[in-house]
Amino acid sequence: MTRTPEDTTLEQRTTAPATAAAGPSRRRLGPAAVWQTVGPLAVFVALFALVSALNPAFLGGGLRILALQATTILLVALGQAMVLHVGSIDLSNAAMAILSAIVLAMTLGPLAAAAPLVCIALMTAVGAVNGALVAYAQVPSFALTLGTLGILQAAALVVSDATTVYVTANREVLAPLFGTAMVGLPAGFWVAVVLAVLLWVLLRSTRLGQALTAVGLNETGALFSGLRTRRLKVLAFALSGFLAGVAGVMIIAQAGAASSFGLGSDLLLPGIAAAIVGGTAITGGVTNPIGVVFGALTVALIPIAAAAVGVTPQAQSLVYGAAIMVAVALTMTRRNRGVVK
Amino acid sequence: MTETENPVHPQATATRPAGRPGEGATYRRLELKSLGELAALVVLVAVFTALNPGSFATAVNLQTILDQAAIPLIVGVGATLVILMGSIDLSVEGVMGAAGMTFVLLSANSRDTVDLGLWAIPVALAVGVALGLLSGLVHTRLKVPSFIATLGVWFVGLGTATVLFGEAAIPFLAEGSLQSWPSGRTLGLPNSFVLAAVVVLLGVAVGRFTRLGRHAYAIGDDEEIARDNGVRVDRYKLLVFLVAGGCSALAGVLASLQLGAGSATVGIGTLFLTIAAVVIGGTSLGGGKGGILRTALGVLLLTVLNNGLILSGVSPNIQSGVSGAVLILAIVAAAWPHRSRLRIVK
Amino acid sequence: MNPSTTNRAPTATLDPPTLRLSNVSKSFGATRAVDGVSLEIPRHEVVGLVGENGAGKSTLLKILTGLHQPDSGVIEAHGTAVRFRRPQDAVAAGIGVVHQEQSLLPNLSVAENIAMSAVASKDQATRFGFYRWRQLNREAAEVLGRVGADIDPRTKVGDLSFVDRQMVEIARALRVDEIVHVAPLVILDEPTSVLERDETDVLEREIRSLKKLGSVIFVSHRLDEVLRICDRIVVMRHGRLVADRRTDSVTEEELFRLMIGKESRAAGRPATGRAEAAQPVLEVEGLGRAGHFTDVSFALPPGHCLAIVGTLGSGREELVRAVYGAEPFDRGTVTIDGEPVRSWSVAAAVRKGVAYVPSERKVEGMVGGLTAAENMTLAHTPRHARRGPFVNRRSRARLAAEWFERLDVRPNDPMLHLDRFSGGNQQKVVMAKWLMAEDLRVLILDHPLRGLDPGAAETVNAQIRAAAQAGAAVVLIADTIEEALAMGDDILVMRDGEVTARYDLSVDSPTSLDLLGRMV
Repeated sequence: MTRTPEDTTLEQRTTAPATAAAGPSRRRLGPAAVWQTVGPLAVFVALFALVSALNPAFLGGGLRILALQATTILLVALGQAMVLHVGSIDLSNAAMAILSAIVLAMTLGPLAAAAPLVCIALMTAVGAVNGALVAYAQVPSFALTLGTLGILQAAALVVSDATTVYVTANREVLAPLFGTAMVGLPAGFWVAVVLAVLLWVLLRSTRLGQALTAVGLNETGALFSGLRTRRLKVLAFALSGFLAGVAGVMIIAQAGAASSFGLGSDLLLPGIAAAIVGGTAITGGVTNPIGVVFGALTVALIPIAAAAVGVTPQAQSLVYGAAIMVAVALTMTRRNRGVVK
Repeated sequence: MTETENPVHPQATATRPAGRPGEGATYRRLELKSLGELAALVVLVAVFTALNPGSFATAVNLQTILDQAAIPLIVGVGATLVILMGSIDLSVEGVMGAAGMTFVLLSANSRDTVDLGLWAIPVALAVGVALGLLSGLVHTRLKVPSFIATLGVWFVGLGTATVLFGEAAIPFLAEGSLQSWPSGRTLGLPNSFVLAAVVVLLGVAVGRFTRLGRHAYAIGDDEEIARDNGVRVDRYKLLVFLVAGGCSALAGVLASLQLGAGSATVGIGTLFLTIAAVVIGGTSLGGGKGGILRTALGVLLLTVLNNGLILSGVSPNIQSGVSGAVLILAIVAAAWPHRSRLRIVK
Repeated sequence: MNPSTTNRAPTATLDPPTLRLSNVSKSFGATRAVDGVSLEIPRHEVVGLVGENGAGKSTLLKILTGLHQPDSGVIEAHGTAVRFRRPQDAVAAGIGVVHQEQSLLPNLSVAENIAMSAVASKDQATRFGFYRWRQLNREAAEVLGRVGADIDPRTKVGDLSFVDRQMVEIARALRVDEIVHVAPLVILDEPTSVLERDETDVLEREIRSLKKLGSVIFVSHRLDEVLRICDRIVVMRHGRLVADRRTDSVTEEELFRLMIGKESRAAGRPATGRAEAAQPVLEVEGLGRAGHFTDVSFALPPGHCLAIVGTLGSGREELVRAVYGAEPFDRGTVTIDGEPVRSWSVAAAVRKGVAYVPSERKVEGMVGGLTAAENMTLAHTPRHARRGPFVNRRSRARLAAEWFERLDVRPNDPMLHLDRFSGGNQQKVVMAKWLMAEDLRVLILDHPLRGLDPGAAETVNAQIRAAAQAGAAVVLIADTIEEALAMGDDILVMRDGEVTARYDLSVDSPTSLDLLGRMV
């Protein structure tokens, strides 16, 4: 006797031949879905227009600076989005980006072009370990990655000896990333955008992507369909590590130096904010990496916009914090309202 | 009802003399599990005493340890209540920053002329409670999961503190009685620790004897059943977040006094330490199980560990790493026996 | 008010009954779950309520506890007509219920659980929000004493045995009379289904002593217990009350017959010669899991359907989930196509061609946020619907359209999210997901027809038969014995985790009564 009245009425409604006339032909777009597809772009365009109107000088070269600042945020946000996509969260990926940058600054001299690859591989491995612990030890991801965050921060301090580490040689290896421009924007930004497009293809058109989506939407259902849900979670965390590693490379390419308190040390919140403003659902299974590109641009624009409307740039993290809560509250699907922890 | 109509099992009557509560076998509040942590603490103390014969087991160092433990102890009270409910409060460091800056700017300091004296403390606490209210409302009314709601409030608090800090010179607390209060002594103990001990005892009382505390346990045990049993879940969740905000704010004030100046990042590192302490104390992240006294033990354990490592010549840079590693070990150890093929943990 | 009601002497036969139902009905869509039920529960009587799964017992209980509202009919409590809009209304009328699922908080003490109940309105044990533990424990001991339960109120509920927890629930349910000052009615919904024998004895004694305080409705699958415990037994079948007997005037066999109605007998069917020769697809040898099932063995040749019957708690669900790799087993082997399985998991099972249609469809059977087409290809993507790692959208759409046609899924739009379909149509998509496998070996079905309308049920049954015809072995947990007899080639009867009987329907032709007798 599991039949509920709602169940039965729905059954009656949809099996009755009369309803064939109503025939919805495509997926119907709920408010959340509409937000997902056009929201991030619309928010960015609106904010950009506002800033340009208040400060016309911004139009000349402003976008270039914006793209420069958005690159690392975008990479970290894409990683966060992949982890959110399987229903978890990665609080450690910003710290991975910093550690990657510090290690790169120290190894670029001796290893030259191999150094970035080593750093990216290292962070991918760290991410995979995160994922393995979450999936196989079955611990909540926020607590586990909080622990990893502590370890990575300590590692960054120890490796850099709590000072700024400068690249000593071979800086020219990374020079093209921000030295050259394509369509007026730095090449490094386009690298991040290409990665976003690849992730978009992964999620939209591959069987692997569909499996990741299934895990995020209903992990039990995915498991009962024979998907290797634990491996898929490890993959999502490994991707987050990989992208954090790339973000570290971008930091060095931009600044030529790294420290545990310098450029990029406060990427965690902008990363989460960009993922969420980019339309990623924290409940999992709903992610549009292209939307995250605009999410990152929006988040990078926030301090500039704040300055333009006369708010002190020091309110930046206040605005990020508020933006996260508002974006989540507005876009969350509350299908299973029962218990929210 | 007589014996014949209602037979009582003979073996049960043998072991339990009478059905009268309040008497008979003493109720064991300290379970074997907390003895494990006590033993770990003893072992740690022994090891560090052996490693640092002249410096660890000294009265001065004991004072230092107790002083260092004060802030995580206070924060731990709120954090434990929140985790007992099955939620999480990540906003600790932000609330500490905002409340600390509020307190410094409203006390006699090197930057401005406003001086509310002791009244600065209630105002700072009110800031913390307000931030707790924000977390609680976003969580209960908008049904945003607590880790996101409090992550947002973390940075709202941090941002508020940064704005208060502004671009002028660092506001130092003026030399005065209040500034030196935490390091003063009462009964040979640092005042900061005495304050923390009072808060912990209050917290234990709340957890044991008040509806607020008991309902926090009930909600964490099983929210749906608690609701079916008439617990007003949302109201008590909100109240617990208020308490947690107040605790963090008090810790922020204390941290500012210890630092002697205003800083937005006065709470840095507290979050790891506290959550790790709650978990190794034996409070389950799933809620319903654990207690504030256990957290206090966890805090002491971690503080001794950090203190001992530094005395043994380990770089202070690894402090957050130690807390992080302990946190991971603790949650993995707690979750390991419950692993199963169908268990879903986000 | 009738003056005799103030006199609570047990001899007061003039009192109105505790509860009287007159012609109560409740329909869900076209199904009449409860159909014109009239029933009287006098004071100080234990009434047994029996019936097969789906006979309408649960719906009736939900009406009595305010979870469902009847479409028509009158309910009177203590002589006054009442209307239960919410569970609290039922409590106010003196009805306490002990549900099948436990409603106690395991980490809190017994006393606290008793105090926290929605029933306890006047909360004497707290003052200004502070708990007075002594008072709390004393009150709890009192409440427990009334049902004669010797439980320390300070014990954590999680540390209690199941029967003790059951007693706490009963004690708590009894507190209704503190608010209403009438003799309470306690409803016990399958309290014994997971109990050991001696625990059941304890519970039995307690239930009998409850009679002195009020009335009891006792719902159970175990007819021997019902006969032992109850004064009167009512039988439900297809939503109707078909019998109302004094216990001393009815036998177990008669009750079986009343529950089932017309007795159905498995039609003898010809032994399929090819099945004898073929190697078994699925062999289960001595499979066991402590506390759930022990020493289960069977072998299934291709095309054979094994129907497993048993009541709630018989362990059959856990058994089939272990075969599917979703739950562990600690002894025995599972062999697929002659290969014993090692490191068994759902993913491994699916790769070996094992399929499972779970009873918890929305949670386990499907991913509601994906489209119907995506759900169909979640487990197996046929070769032509993929292009390397990529999905070939066009041929997947074509494939999905084909299956929609074949299974008559409505609305006919595979691009719609699956949670927008009705239950019956969702189940068709779940079936399609497994039938899509290029080599389906074993099809396990757990209540595949639950909540389905007759049309959808027929479609699903036809697909099960087609899968068997194509050479798959089928393991079926059916909703009813009739369904099992109609679909199965072999029948396995389970009770309390053990196999109590097996029938080969090409040789034996057991009646539904035979099966029921070995289930309970």
